[in-house]
Amino acid sequence: MSLRTWQKIALPLAMLIFVANARAQSESHARIELIAEQNTVAPGKPLWLGLLFRLDPGWHIYWQNPGDSGEPPKVQWQLPPGFAAGSILWPQPIRLGTGTVLDYGYEEQVLLMAPLKGTSPEHPTSLPGISADVKYIVCREMCIPGKAHLTLAPPADGNWSAWRSLFEQTRQQLPKSLPAGWKVSAESNKTSFVLSVRAGSQVRSASFFPLEPGQIDNSSPQGFASNRAGFTLTLKKSDQLLKPISTLKGLIVVGPGRAFEIAAHVVSR
Amino acid sequence: MTKRFLTSTLALFAVLLASSPIWAARVGEAAPQFTATDTNGDVHKLSDYKGKFVVLEWSNRGCPYTQKHYNSGNMQQLQREWTARGVIWLTVISSAPGKQGYVTGPEENAYLTQVKAAPSAVLLDPTGALGHLYDAKTTPDIFIINPQGTLIYSGAIDDTPSTDVADVSKAKNYVSAALEEATSGKAVAVSTSRPYGCSVKYAD
Repeated sequence: MSLRTWQKIALPLAMLIFVANARAQSESHARIELIAEQNTVAPGKPLWLGLLFRLDPGWHIYWQNPGDSGEPPKVQWQLPPGFAAGSILWPQPIRLGTGTVLDYGYEEQVLLMAPLKGTSPEHPTSLPGISADVKYIVCREMCIPGKAHLTLAPPADGNWSAWRSLFEQTRQQLPKSLPAGWKVSAESNKTSFVLSVRAGSQVRSASFFPLEPGQIDNSSPQGFASNRAGFTLTLKKSDQLLKPISTLKGLIVVGPGRAFEIAAHVVSR
Repeated sequence: MTKRFLTSTLALFAVLLASSPIWAARVGEAAPQFTATDTNGDVHKLSDYKGKFVVLEWSNRGCPYTQKHYNSGNMQQLQREWTARGVIWLTVISSAPGKQGYVTGPEENAYLTQVKAAPSAVLLDPTGALGHLYDAKTTPDIFIINPQGTLIYSGAIDDTPSTDVADVSKAKNYVSAALEEATSGKAVAVSTSRPYGCSVKYAD
């Protein structure tokens, strides 16, 4: 082969290899691991399983209500007979995006926990064989769908305490029920819902994350106003909402680790 | 007056309209009027199509949700079926220059041939004016306007938010359902749904 012919081939070939390589790397913006809180199943207690998502900077996955775009990860468990997995517990999300498209989700790292329940052993037993098929979409400027088949195995370095602390940290980020003494109600007018929260302590900022799509306009600013009793949030209605709703369900987040589940009865005005 | 000046004035006007709540695209109300240019440089006004059903389909060929409906042939089949039945099907591309899905007219025409797409026209909306006027959120995002100019559907293409081609045949297609009902004089049963897909790649 002449040098000239070789040159003709070499550059496109090198580019092809480069592109193929870049693609293989760029398509894994999320690394997922299936982890467990303990190495045994204890009598009468659920074993907590978790899907640990580690995301490249700027990339995100979605909350159970993804907001205007995207979709939440979905998992299908493969469990031994006698075991069942409960629903995912979703840690408090963040608002993602600017402009007229706003999403709810997670950046950097998130652990999606689910309880494994089963025939309660009398004595602690070792980890059963567990695997999970996960489908997700990870987005930044663009979106890339991903699939993973994960199998539960003890931590490679044998360090169970690192996994345990991930579960502990995540529990701090799970929405809680409304503190005693707090109360929520909602009023509906032509354009907005006004969510009133009677709080037990002073609240300086708050945001609402709707559980149902198509009720509030996700990208509109949420009008926060504090008052003596607590605060109100004015939430613009979605253009897609054609019928009145009786309950406004979602989270109110008043700070890190302070997300509360609410279901406010809606009164029309 | 130069063509460019006219275009930017129109775009600005459309943006002003979009920011006014009176012009929101709400089902049951008059669909916002627009003027937009297609991939061949032809100008389309919504008012040109009074007396016909009009479908607006937001698209971005780089988006995996859009790809699901084009790789499966679902979108092309809907376009073919409904344009044959007299419906005007306008695909809209609101990706800004430099963003995913941005295309020139000739690029898009080549792509339409390649994937055998069959819309009535593809409107190029790089300023996002038309997208914001309708508050299109995702690709795909579908709006259906009746012959009287009323918006009768706004939302997803079907009831299965996923990127899996295998889901297309199992899903309930909201667009077909709405058009079947509306063209036979019935009320549209599902007139809104959460559109699913990638965010529209508007200018920052």
